[in-house]
Amino acid sequence: MTAYNYPEIFDVLVVGGGHAGCEAALAAARLGAKTLLLTQDLDTLAQMSCNPSIGGVGKGQLVREIDALGGEMGKIADLSMLSGHMLNTSKGAAVRSPRAQCDKKMYQLAMKRALERQPGLTLVQDEAAEVLEKGGRAAGVGTARHTVYRSKTVVLTAGTFLRGVIHVGLDSFPGGRYNHPPSDLLSKSLAGLGFRLGRLKTGTPMRLHARGIDFSKCDRQAPDAPPAPFSHFTGAITNPQLPCWITRTGAGTAGVISAALHRSPLYSGKIKSTGPRYCPSIEDKVVKFPHHGAHHLFLEPEGFATEEYYVNGLSTSLPEEVQADIVRSVAGLERAEIMRAGYAIEYDYSDPGQLDYTLETRPLPGLYMAGQVNGTTGYEEAAGQGLVAGINAARAAAGLEPLIIRRDEGYLGVMIDDLVSKGIDEPYRIFTSRAEYRLLLRADNADLRLCPRGFELGLLPARLEKNFRAYADAVRTLQAGGKPARLPPGPWTLKKARATAEIEKIYEMYVRRNQKEAEKMKKFEGLRIPPDFSYADARALPNEARHKLELHRPLTLAQAGRLPGVTPADVQLLWVLLEKRRRQRRKP
Amino acid sequence: MILPETSDTIVAQATPPGAGALAVLRLSGRGAFAAAAGFLRPAPKDPPHGVARLLAVRDGERLVDRAVAVFFRGPASYTGEDTVELTCHGSPYIVRTILNLAVSNGARPAAPGEFTLRAFLNGKLDLAQAEAVGQLIESGTEAAHRAALTQAEGGLSREVRAIKEELVGLLAQLEARLDDSYEEQPALELRAFARAAEAARSKAAALAAGYAAGRGIRDGLKVVISGAPNSGKSSLLNALLGCDRAMVSKQAGTTRDTLEASLEIDGFKVLFTDTAGLSARAGSALEREGMRRARRALEKADTVLLVKDSSSKETPADRGAAREAGRLAPEGARVLRLLSKADLSAKGPLPAGAFRVSARTGEGLARLRTALVAEQKKVFRDGAQAVVTSARHYSALSRAAAELALLPGKLRGKTPPLELAAEHLRGALAALAEVLGETAPEEVLAGVFSNFCVGK
Repeated sequence: MTAYNYPEIFDVLVVGGGHAGCEAALAAARLGAKTLLLTQDLDTLAQMSCNPSIGGVGKGQLVREIDALGGEMGKIADLSMLSGHMLNTSKGAAVRSPRAQCDKKMYQLAMKRALERQPGLTLVQDEAAEVLEKGGRAAGVGTARHTVYRSKTVVLTAGTFLRGVIHVGLDSFPGGRYNHPPSDLLSKSLAGLGFRLGRLKTGTPMRLHARGIDFSKCDRQAPDAPPAPFSHFTGAITNPQLPCWITRTGAGTAGVISAALHRSPLYSGKIKSTGPRYCPSIEDKVVKFPHHGAHHLFLEPEGFATEEYYVNGLSTSLPEEVQADIVRSVAGLERAEIMRAGYAIEYDYSDPGQLDYTLETRPLPGLYMAGQVNGTTGYEEAAGQGLVAGINAARAAAGLEPLIIRRDEGYLGVMIDDLVSKGIDEPYRIFTSRAEYRLLLRADNADLRLCPRGFELGLLPARLEKNFRAYADAVRTLQAGGKPARLPPGPWTLKKARATAEIEKIYEMYVRRNQKEAEKMKKFEGLRIPPDFSYADARALPNEARHKLELHRPLTLAQAGRLPGVTPADVQLLWVLLEKRRRQRRKP
Repeated sequence: MILPETSDTIVAQATPPGAGALAVLRLSGRGAFAAAAGFLRPAPKDPPHGVARLLAVRDGERLVDRAVAVFFRGPASYTGEDTVELTCHGSPYIVRTILNLAVSNGARPAAPGEFTLRAFLNGKLDLAQAEAVGQLIESGTEAAHRAALTQAEGGLSREVRAIKEELVGLLAQLEARLDDSYEEQPALELRAFARAAEAARSKAAALAAGYAAGRGIRDGLKVVISGAPNSGKSSLLNALLGCDRAMVSKQAGTTRDTLEASLEIDGFKVLFTDTAGLSARAGSALEREGMRRARRALEKADTVLLVKDSSSKETPADRGAAREAGRLAPEGARVLRLLSKADLSAKGPLPAGAFRVSARTGEGLARLRTALVAEQKKVFRDGAQAVVTSARHYSALSRAAAELALLPGKLRGKTPPLELAAEHLRGALAALAEVLGETAPEEVLAGVFSNFCVGK
């Protein structure tokens, strides 16, 4: 078949329409880049393939940061919110995080509408089969239907679709999500371009029909009244709010699972790839935490207009009839009807150690990657990377400096640096534990941290800048005990400034300490390691460190220091070596 | 920063300079074997690893000395490079001649600490060990040698690592709760947690407290002899040293300047400082200067010997001297009360903790010597204990203890600020990492995942 060359050349071509792809495409188009979003299926744009919820500890902070940079996720989550909760209210503000269950279909449609209404953004349904290369750079994408789309940059957000295989019991079949075909061709194309690919596993629980749930046996988890919006630009949540329900595994649950372990693809050895330790399947929980007794389960509505419930905590890949037995061993679910079975999925990811801080890949400049293809899990993690990749692809196409967020500026920075510096050995999820400057990175100050960048980039409406600047001044004034000036109209109010200033005061001493450390680290961030630096010749370095450095090729001395297995002594030594090399080169 | 050259061969005397029965010289680097083969006879060809051989050192045809040579092949050597260790006779002339021979055969005189640096560059030492090895080189006395050896073999690292692991476990308990999106973790048992943190704090503080003793081992224990004029301070010094180091006379105020002398007691180095008598009367300018110097010495003392003439009644000057010693001696310094000239006085009841001594008869001196190094000995009583001898380690361990001391305040109330408790634990861990030369944030997450069932 002869290829059809699409006549236009795009600035940014986004492959994939999930949470990463949507943010990437919107950001690029908003920055003025001529953008194409290519997806297998326009009906599954921004689909929440697993739980119907956005946010959580760490993740909620990410959504606030995405919003502060002009991303879409927070706004759409607010529009579709059906049960909003602020987490960790009994703990300090630094770990307080918003989370909400959202109407899945409403979320998708709202995002689809945002994409469709975005000038400069073209949406096309086709399967990307090949990343095209020209002169050592990404040059576009060839599709399964033999169309060639040329572009200056490509943002790949393939999710779990690269050579995806779904497991239910000992049955397995190709799929990128239940009932959706995988992208096998694209995986082959990446391998051909020299990318290191690995394999990961994740899973999802079954969905139940509401009529089979005895809610009287469950604890009601009331939504906050009123729930706090994710977005800085949402006035208030207008949707009616629904409760979630809590129940727990029963006395018989462990027995049902233990008896069926030989039929588990995880325990029979059929699945060899690594799943996330923090989001274990119920069979993992029973085996690894035998003394834990009952495990909590959360029943979350999937939407306003559907009877489907998501069973948070029962992720499993056991055979369907065993899943039914498991569910029925739970209080309140004795007569439950499974509408969709839980399953595990294995997929290819691209080693994120091949990325630069901009999310551009080092093996193929011009190609960016974001989301699960980089080995992460979670809608929020994906959206955050999509936003950064979209911004950087658009800016690169326009010949502008990239956006790089440091670890002390946001969880976005923590996540990207973790991925780039350390690579992964299980699906990566953000945790506040991962942030060394946790008290700086709060949900309440995401705007103070990142809105200046959002305005500067041009992703936030310029008309609000005065309101924001006055707000930032007011927080500073209040913190110093002064009387703030009135604010110009806008989403930022004096009331909010007072609340933020109070939090700043509580953390003041610690924040100063965090800032001092961040300042020290900044010095090492500035010490770039030349890309041709030879670790093989750096024999003074211990083998383990040399091996790690060779593998990850850190971009800066600071990044080298964050690699596990690389000690401060190694960094000192590396510093000596770099300095030596620098002086040698300077000699005539 | 000094940038070392690491590709050539270095040579230096490994034992302290000066005359001794034996001296050890060390050559290290790619050309170490070749350089040694240039002056050792019979010239060793392909010498076996780690085997001691008696060889002749020749300058041309002339026999310089007979030396024991041990050849170590890199990386199985102290520096990780090819190394030759030569034990020769300790005459400065022989040592200098052999060094010259090594240099004329291609080696370069090593800069201070350069062997250790190479060992470090070649991945043979961790940071804590590297520092201990630096001190090993400096250590003059037997006890200092032992302290340095214990640390070099990881005694300190081992104890610090044990504290670190304890803290990583505690931090994991906090992090699991802070990152718990579904609020599934049972509430923290605050009291048990605070107890465990306190145990770790006291361990870190105890290690830090060993610093004074550890420093005494390395640098020598500073003992200042102080007291009223003419109380017999200089006579005491001479008696302790067993020689007439200080000028003595019956006249008060004979000692004007401070005077130092060192002595080895049971393997510990003790540095005595004899000082001018402290008198309330403002004497001559010279006396005033002497007293100023005496006070300055007191400020640096590890131990003060407060001397009082037992043959006369207590004078205002005695009381003044006691006050000054108490006021000026640093915190933690010991003040030992000495009743001197015991041979001239009637034996009355001895105040608690005091020593009766006579410079003339030698009465009480043995007991005093034993008491002086008792603290240092305690450090070694249980065998190979970790001893903190570096100021850097001391400051890191003190910082860790200080961070942990702030924890209990964050573990109180109905909604304790666990994120702040975590901040202090992180601070303590960062301080300990400085001693160990390693960082370990991933360990905490691993602890969270292996001990807690954290939901999505």
